[in-house]
Amino acid sequence: MEFEALAHRALDTATICGAQYGDIRFENVRSERIEVRNGVVASLADGRGSGYGIRALVDGAWGFSASSDLTDAGIDRTAARAVAIARASASIARERFGAAPPHVYVDNYATPLARDPRTVPLGERVALLLEAEKLAHTGDRIAVARAWLDLWRTEKYFYSTIGSALEQTIVQTGTGVQAMAVGDGDVQSRTYPGDVGLYKSGGWEIVEEAALLANAARIGDEAIALLTAPQCPSGTFDVVLGGSQVSLQIHESCGHPAELDRVMGWEASFSGTSFLEVNQLDRLQYGSAAVTIVVDNTMPSGMATCGYDDEGTKSGVSDIVRDGVLRGYEMSNDTARAIGRTSNACVRAQSWEFVPMIRMCNLNLLPGDVPFEGLFDDIRDGIYMESNRSWSIDDRRLNFQFGCQIGWEIKNGKRGRMLKNPTYAGMTPRFWNSCDAVADAQSWNAWGTPNCGKGEPMQTGRTTQAASPARFRGVSVGVGYQ
Amino acid sequence: MKAKHREAIARRAVERSRADQTEVRVSTGDDALTRFAHGISNQNVAGDDVTIAVRAIVDGRTGVAASNDLSDASVDALLERAREMALFVPSDPLVPALPPGGSAPAPGGCYVDATAHADPHARATVSDAIISRAEQAGYWCSGYVSTATSGTTIANSSGALASFDGTDARVNVKTTAPDSTGFAEHYTTDIRELDGDAAGARAVELARASARPRSVEPGVWTVILEPPAFGELLTYLVSHFSAQSFSDGSSFCSDGLDRSYFDERVTIGDDFAHPLAPSMPFDYEGQPKLRLPLVEAGVVRNIVTDSYYAKKLDRPNTGHALPAPNAYGPQPLNIVMPAGTKSTHELIAGTQRGLLISRFWYIRIVDQKRAIVTGMTRDGTFLIENGKIAGGVRNLRFNQSILEALGSVEFGSEQKRTGQYFYSLVVPTAKIDRFTFTSTTEF
Repeated sequence: MEFEALAHRALDTATICGAQYGDIRFENVRSERIEVRNGVVASLADGRGSGYGIRALVDGAWGFSASSDLTDAGIDRTAARAVAIARASASIARERFGAAPPHVYVDNYATPLARDPRTVPLGERVALLLEAEKLAHTGDRIAVARAWLDLWRTEKYFYSTIGSALEQTIVQTGTGVQAMAVGDGDVQSRTYPGDVGLYKSGGWEIVEEAALLANAARIGDEAIALLTAPQCPSGTFDVVLGGSQVSLQIHESCGHPAELDRVMGWEASFSGTSFLEVNQLDRLQYGSAAVTIVVDNTMPSGMATCGYDDEGTKSGVSDIVRDGVLRGYEMSNDTARAIGRTSNACVRAQSWEFVPMIRMCNLNLLPGDVPFEGLFDDIRDGIYMESNRSWSIDDRRLNFQFGCQIGWEIKNGKRGRMLKNPTYAGMTPRFWNSCDAVADAQSWNAWGTPNCGKGEPMQTGRTTQAASPARFRGVSVGVGYQ
Repeated sequence: MKAKHREAIARRAVERSRADQTEVRVSTGDDALTRFAHGISNQNVAGDDVTIAVRAIVDGRTGVAASNDLSDASVDALLERAREMALFVPSDPLVPALPPGGSAPAPGGCYVDATAHADPHARATVSDAIISRAEQAGYWCSGYVSTATSGTTIANSSGALASFDGTDARVNVKTTAPDSTGFAEHYTTDIRELDGDAAGARAVELARASARPRSVEPGVWTVILEPPAFGELLTYLVSHFSAQSFSDGSSFCSDGLDRSYFDERVTIGDDFAHPLAPSMPFDYEGQPKLRLPLVEAGVVRNIVTDSYYAKKLDRPNTGHALPAPNAYGPQPLNIVMPAGTKSTHELIAGTQRGLLISRFWYIRIVDQKRAIVTGMTRDGTFLIENGKIAGGVRNLRFNQSILEALGSVEFGSEQKRTGQYFYSLVVPTAKIDRFTFTSTTEF
């Protein structure tokens, strides 16, 4: 492997300095972004970087240090700094909580690619976005149209003092188009696909799946139509949420509260705690029997799909909610051990500069058995909402309010008029217990989120919440516009 | 890395570029943060990095390439990559000449040696004092102590050459009691000003004072927002002063400047030189920043620009560019609001019935044009009755237009520095007459 000699030097230095365990993660990162805005290429960026982060364990306390200095002196300095930081951690610790990972792996993994994005000429990428953005300009009221493409490639090399040696290449691709209409004192936006675009692990096939050219004009038309659409009513309604909105609902109201570091108070000062306390495990009726949510870091196309997490734990599948009952958490080695379990490989770092921490990975709502259109069948007076516009939830992940870009009324089982500014609100377990149907696998998609924030220093995570549309009964609608 | 070294690298790159116009940014950073919770340091980290970014412009076409390899060969390849990328895109007639820069002296106090050289034990000492305060009260706490050193150099083919070195030190703590929480924060450039004992005591005091919270009904309330709460709310108005938002029509003031949008007591400026938050005196194009009034006595006077939007809107370049490529447009990063005349105690004493709010959480935009936002209270919310604090209340969700909130407001006499995302804010406590809450929580 490319960094093997440097890794041994770093781990030897850490050991000599007093680390009882250490690991090092080298990364070569490439990030390419193109963004077209109103006919011009507003962003054409290609960023590349290399560096490494070292974890050191001293007396049950952790230290982490990162650097891009790949010289021998830089490696030695960074390893010694990680150990010095671990000693400082130990000096204030009221208990010993850290331990070395329990398993050793020597392996490699690479994201399967149908078409490597590197083989697609830059001119072809730019031309696609210019055309999509142009198609979204369906009228004078479109003040801004945008189309974008992100290509990320990360090569990781992980080594530990207990003998793990892992090489992984992760490729993630995302693209989307947006139209913003302005008029009559109002601003309305539509985005496709979903609310941030289509983001998955994989290659150019993700761009082809997104079909921007076939949908750009539609979202332009919808943005203009929303300016004059009637306001979504306020009251209690049955609600059908589109797949990408269900994905965000999972993300905010299940994914974050099921992070075990948050449950244990480690995120309290910033992103909050959780109502999914450990004494609720195997007892809490989180949702209805229609709701089963699993961690699956082995699934095709998941943004968090990989062979091993950033602690060197092998990816797998595990339950968070099974038939509505809370069954598990997203865990690291230390937090899992604290509740008598083993890690389910949910530890990620944004890149080499950042310490690995528990991150929401691929967290999926399993599909039901109702065709999408069947969700509307017995709704007499309801609202269908698509594509997130606004999201807010309290710091225990209970009281939430979400807004969508577009809605339609549902009358006697049929989709009716378009509605603007649809919002809904609720309390998390009450809301998921009101879910009486999840659409089938035909409309299930691996919706990726490229920009999940957590931690201090803040880290951006890439995560997937695969979902299909779902139906919820008796939901508070129209909050914020009463 | 010293500024002279960064400047040598940047100058060499500009000289060797084959593009029509070239901008080079060399950035260095060394950040460290000690995070603690439940009496352990759950994350204790440090890292250093360098970045060189090249913006190449060829016939109105722009490419940006970045790397953290500063070797001559790598930089030469980077220059060529940025130039070649630019050749693939259509020409944009609005791409301006890169600004020539100018004199931009840094305000005093931006860089403090003690912060730059702080070691992990210095952060541990402050952390330990905070943790001890919580333990003495029988509570637990989480938070962080951080130090950072950054260096930025901008050079371009129009002759701009600007360098800045700064430090940053912060404390943030949330203390949790059986049925209540409290919070404290401190932002400075000098680690010696961080007082863990005082921050820990403040967070304990808020948690203790808000114990046994009662429920209050949602609805329209008079609120007194302490600086962290008011600053976070204001963050969601700041982007409206960007020339991009103004030009797109998505800003509340897109219909016109020099109009009154707020209470005449509202004055907002962007000031990189405020002594509580001294900052970089030039923008990411090397253009000197203007200390700019955005709102004067309720009247919107200015928006912020960079070279692109100055040309597009035929307005002066105010020096508010973000690093290229930039999808967010120019931004005012150093918001300052002047203090009023009354102490927080006097504001409370003048309130018949209202809520005192320490901090908000998870504010998001509900309606862009009307600046309606939603969010939650957090870590110390109190009922005011007959001019006195009557105890803690359970947290509430609000839905509120910031424009309407600032339509009738008065300000406290003490400014404090706070921050959200990449914005720095120096703001006073604000008393807002009408603020709409739409639901409550059970905690």
